Amino acid sequence: MCESRFVKFAAALAAAAGLFVPIPGAAAADVKSLLREADAYRMVGDTARVETEVRLFKGGALDKERRYAVYVKPGRRSLVVFKSPAERGQKLLMVGDDFWLVMPASQRPVRITPMQKLLGDASTGDIATLTWAEDYDGSIVGEEVAEGIPCLKLDITGQRKGVTYPRIVLYLAKAGHHPVLAELYVASDKLAKEARFRMETAEGRRQVGAMILTDRLQTARETEIRYLSRKAKSLGDEFYNPAFLIRAEIDE
Amino acid sequence: MSNVLRPGTAAAAFAALLAGGAGAAADDRAADFAWRSRLVPEFHSLRGDSPFAAGIPLTAFGRERARFEQEAKGRLGPLNLRLTAQGNGMEGRAPVAKAIANEAYADFGSGADRFTLGKKVMSGDVGYGFRPLDVVQRENRRQLAAPALEGIPVGVWERYTADDAWSVIYANPAHGRRGQARQDESLALRYFRRAGAADLHGVARFSGRHGAEVGAAFAAVPDESLELHASVLVQRRGERMAVPVLAGPALLDPNRVLAAEGIRSPRRALAGFTWTWEGGWSVLGEAWWDGTAPGRGDWKRLLAQSAVRRGLASVPGVPTAAVSGATALSTRLYEVENLQRRNLLGRLAWTDPGGDGWSSALELLLTPEDRGRVATWSITREAGAWKIEAGLRRYGGAAGSAWRMFPERGAAFVAASLAY
Repeated sequence: MCESRFVKFAAALAAAAGLFVPIPGAAAADVKSLLREADAYRMVGDTARVETEVRLFKGGALDKERRYAVYVKPGRRSLVVFKSPAERGQKLLMVGDDFWLVMPASQRPVRITPMQKLLGDASTGDIATLTWAEDYDGSIVGEEVAEGIPCLKLDITGQRKGVTYPRIVLYLAKAGHHPVLAELYVASDKLAKEARFRMETAEGRRQVGAMILTDRLQTARETEIRYLSRKAKSLGDEFYNPAFLIRAEIDE
Repeated sequence: MSNVLRPGTAAAAFAALLAGGAGAAADDRAADFAWRSRLVPEFHSLRGDSPFAAGIPLTAFGRERARFEQEAKGRLGPLNLRLTAQGNGMEGRAPVAKAIANEAYADFGSGADRFTLGKKVMSGDVGYGFRPLDVVQRENRRQLAAPALEGIPVGVWERYTADDAWSVIYANPAHGRRGQARQDESLALRYFRRAGAADLHGVARFSGRHGAEVGAAFAAVPDESLELHASVLVQRRGERMAVPVLAGPALLDPNRVLAAEGIRSPRRALAGFTWTWEGGWSVLGEAWWDGTAPGRGDWKRLLAQSAVRRGLASVPGVPTAAVSGATALSTRLYEVENLQRRNLLGRLAWTDPGGDGWSSALELLLTPEDRGRVATWSITREAGAWKIEAGLRRYGGAAGSAWRMFPERGAAFVAASLAY
């Protein structure tokens, strides 16, 4: 708690000192537009099915692999279907700020808190959240070189309570505005993770091929989230109804 | 016998597959199969001073030693199957093997209207320790290292919008009234509504045993760490297992040891919360009332009658087998869902937030009416396709409390499962 207050105080002090004052040249730039451009590198259209592989490394060695199918639809709706043998039958639904989980042993949707969503091998929030523009707003606070790439530095905050990370410091490449680096802060304003984005050209377009998350709270842990495929796919509204989660049409 | 695989169940699902055709699925793939093997060695220690000691050798208390389950789960279009081959080892008895169709059903339909035919798990309600609204599945919430749930034969019509869902469930067709409520033929209507940060549930069930049962529940997340839930059910005709007032030879009459007793409009209700905070810790608290549970008077009578039966064993001319049999039958009072009407549950759990796969939980169930208690500790490690669980359970409480009289003092288990 003390650390949290110190961080907030330091942030306020830095802002007062002008460190985070939006730079004049970039002030006119529309942060929402930049975020939409950045989102386009992870999504394909508004509705999509994204096949995702998560690999967890400990001390540089591969510890475990997991696979997920993520269905995304406008209205902040995400459905995560767990595909690995060890997790098969689990499903997580995110609708706005609300979350439900189905475990194979009980087969009934259980409403969970945003805090519970963070538990587990890889935060399902990291897997299910593929866009920023709908949930975040903020300002351009400078220009920096990140990962060897000249970037715009954005300080964005969640516009609703259910976001996985209430604050993100995001570095977007000046050329093309693709995501390069993101510093992800939890509710206590601690830096929880750093996300680096690996770009690739696939299916005729340049897109994020993987997101590498480095845990800043527990060192020596790294999570690689690889986007194996992205398909434009629209599920009916009923698929995003929590009561529907027990139906087999949602693939197990 | 009812839980053994019956060819008709699978046939019904296949028939539904042919009749319904493929519905719109989230995944384009037509087939999906998975396997799981699970070995559960367990150890139960008997209570030496149990008032039921004379009858224990005739029961399963303390005998379970190991269980092996081989589960196959598959989907082919709208047809879903979950089959389990299970072997049980019990002390002093030959191992028993059986095959169970946990689920064999077809989910089909499109758009707002969806249908299910076959045998499917139909769990419901919002609680953890007790689920008053779980009137179709009637899941046992007290089992250690519980095996996979076994579904109910159903025909279901569901209607969905983005925020509402209606289900009409015809369960156990043509069964009429069977031995257990979950086997009874019934018609149920379930309703779900997402209302902002809260879920609302409603249920109405009609069966020969209970007449109408009507209930409602909610679960809400008012804060990023706090979840609240509550549910209540009212039955038109309730049924409880009671200990009748008996004396003399009637104490040894196997048909009179326990009696099912009708009660008018009993209520079952639960309220609880879950609080989760950073570091992977969470605490769950629940309190519930079960108007169909035995009363304190039943347990007092059972204790007194057990003492009289023990005394009868030394009376010349009284067959020892009659005493043992009646005592063993009296322990069936422990098969009811709740041993007392008032129950409190506390659960402190931890999940490794770093993703190492460790989790642990400590649970304490209290029955304030007689100051009985059950403490359970468990630890789980998930690594790749392996899941290892271990746990300890201890029954106790004040002298004369239902849990203190429980024929077992405690239990320990280890469960290793491999998914592939």
